[in-house]
Amino acid sequence: MTGGGHVGTIVVTSSTPLWYATRATGLVALVLLTASMALGLLSSVRFQRPAWPRFVTLGLHRNLALLALGFTAVHVLTTVLDSFVDIPLQDAFIPFISSYRPIWVGLGAIALDLMLALIITSLLRTRMGLRSWRVVHWTAYLCWPVAVLHGLGTGTDTPVRWVLVLTACCVLAIAALTIWRLALAWPGRPVASTAGVILIAVTLIVGTAWLRAGPLAPHWSTRSGTTSTPAAGAARPDYRVSP
Amino acid sequence: MTARGVAVPSEGGPLAPAPGDLRLIVRDQPLSLAEHIARYGPLPAGQLVSQVLVAEVERSGLTGRGGGAFPAGRKIRAVAEASMRPRPVRASGGSPAKGSAANSSVANSSVAKGSVVVANGSESEPASRKDSVLLSLAPHLVLDGIALCASAVGAGRAYLCVGHRAAAVAQSVTEAVAERVRAGLDSVPVEVTTTADGYLSGQENALISALNGNAPLPTFVPPRPAERGVRRRPTLVLNVETLAHIALIARFGSDWFRASGTAGAPGSALVTITGAVERPGVREIPLGTGLGEVLQRSGLSQPAQAVLTGGYFGTWLPLPAALAVPVSDEGMRAAGATLGPGVLAVLPESACGLAETARIASFLAAGSAGQCGPCRNGLPALADALNLIAFGQPSQDIVGWVEQLSGLVTGRGACHLPDGAAGLARSALRVFATDVQAHLTAGPCARAGGPPILPLPAGGYL
Amino acid sequence: MTANRDGGTIQQPRFPEPRLRVNPIACEAHGVCIELLPELISADPWGYPILRPGPVPLHLQSLARRAVAACPTLALMLTSLQP
Repeated sequence: MTGGGHVGTIVVTSSTPLWYATRATGLVALVLLTASMALGLLSSVRFQRPAWPRFVTLGLHRNLALLALGFTAVHVLTTVLDSFVDIPLQDAFIPFISSYRPIWVGLGAIALDLMLALIITSLLRTRMGLRSWRVVHWTAYLCWPVAVLHGLGTGTDTPVRWVLVLTACCVLAIAALTIWRLALAWPGRPVASTAGVILIAVTLIVGTAWLRAGPLAPHWSTRSGTTSTPAAGAARPDYRVSP
Repeated sequence: MTARGVAVPSEGGPLAPAPGDLRLIVRDQPLSLAEHIARYGPLPAGQLVSQVLVAEVERSGLTGRGGGAFPAGRKIRAVAEASMRPRPVRASGGSPAKGSAANSSVANSSVAKGSVVVANGSESEPASRKDSVLLSLAPHLVLDGIALCASAVGAGRAYLCVGHRAAAVAQSVTEAVAERVRAGLDSVPVEVTTTADGYLSGQENALISALNGNAPLPTFVPPRPAERGVRRRPTLVLNVETLAHIALIARFGSDWFRASGTAGAPGSALVTITGAVERPGVREIPLGTGLGEVLQRSGLSQPAQAVLTGGYFGTWLPLPAALAVPVSDEGMRAAGATLGPGVLAVLPESACGLAETARIASFLAAGSAGQCGPCRNGLPALADALNLIAFGQPSQDIVGWVEQLSGLVTGRGACHLPDGAAGLARSALRVFATDVQAHLTAGPCARAGGPPILPLPAGGYL
Repeated sequence: MTANRDGGTIQQPRFPEPRLRVNPIACEAHGVCIELLPELISADPWGYPILRPGPVPLHLQSLARRAVAACPTLALMLTSLQP
């Protein structure tokens, strides 16, 4: 809101605080989602230490997922409230209908929908059959990479070094844990495990290539479909990479 | 019609077998349909019969002859009640064959045609022969029983499962079914199937699972077959011998049935006698007959030290101490053993009970479905320990380890295989205690190296 | 227990007490239930749960429900039916 708009008792005179909030909550949500995913993978490989029983892994996995959903909710809210770009609430749930970077915001919508499905089915786990819960829970392997791509494609902070490093750490951690999980899941099928590892390696390579050709290359905001909003007057300048 | 509504044979017709007579198997050759009807009379049919049948079977005290010894009448009633509950309308497979007027009244009964009858002739117990003998010599008694139960529970289809080892019997039974269809007898179609190979394939839930197209392995209960079985319908699973008895109870009444056997174990039963006897095979005995008398009829060919009752997951009884034990479920249970499917395997003095037990334990461990951790882990450990006692150099605490393993596996599987293996192991340690001491101090005895007495299917288990 | 008109007492019907039960086919020995409810569940030599027989005491019932919800394969059950 510009001008004399009210949010609570604070008078918001520009959209920048909301924009910062969107970026910050998005990053935190990504980290939390990564942590939850990592703990889920640790649970599936039955990780256990004397001082780290199974229920700690499971409990943290659950609570961090809920926390990630909370931060995502704030992330969505600040995005919607931010008048610099017109992103109505339905764009957060229905993919690809946004006028702002439709593909990348759409990915965020997909990730959010999947997160909701994962969390709601898990809360209702004892009331639904194990098989249906398990099928829905496998979509976590889709939800997390989609969220990462959403962050890289929509996020205006992608070229910032510490953001890149943080994202890379998240990706490498999940890749390593997934390889560990694959190796343990199919001990008698080395062909399948090797195929899985190769798939992950290929994804990493392709992803890095896309990163360099896409968000890290000049004019990404234009190529990804950023439209300038007349209501704001001047367009928000591209974020410059600070050394 | 008597006051209870059960048809009594008319003057000059077939007479009910006297208490001492053989009831189920009357000669060494199969009875054709015509001979069967001449011997026992026509199958009682009609709505009245199906309504009083359940009560008559309950009154007779007939228990399952497949090993579970569960009251048959109660089982039929449970399925009949379950099939009465409203079910979603669904097209049931197999339209009823054209039948006589009496049968068409059954077709019009108010009971929904939604349940299933399964006649279990799988006989996965290697030492048992009674079911295949019954099916080959008196198939029409079994098929009568199926027809009667089908009308009592409102079944739309029935299955007769023949064991893997008895392929020829499957053929003759299929012909018997065709004979009845030509004669217009059965309104419910009977499908003859062959049970898969495997010790557990004849288990009630495993059989239903196989009929549903899944692996022939036990399932977790609930839901019970009476609630949900083949194609999710209430399913009545009965041993073929039990069904044969029902066919006779329907003709001659529960009082007649109880004229043989004892008050606590009424009726007659088929037993398979094998091992060190002169005339091994299947015999029909009144329940409660002393073990000594039963074995005497088969002729003990050499001095015997023990008898294995209840099949390979049963228990050992020492001889001659157990000669007085009545051959019945209650008699056996009082002696700490089980009758099971009526297998009596006699062990001669010249054999080593520990060696036989170890071989059986290896067989049982190999027959595990592998679905439940305690059984999948515990039974091979138990077999290894027993093999060590019989053939190896065990430490002094091996007996305690066998006891501990037995306690660990009992009651912790989805079926009773681990319970049976534990019971076998414990009874062996008890009955062959002196042999255990001898093995522990001096190593395997000479008898342990002898040929196996008890039949096991070919295949490596050790 | 309540008093009736004749001065005697009437035994109130008790609710069926909940009991723990494990589906041995579904159980894959994750061991979470053993961690969460050691008062009632212990481990056998292969990591599978051994349940203490009998009803679950009142003070452990909420913990038992938590253990049931935490089982990764939903093999642990709380039932008031007789096994």
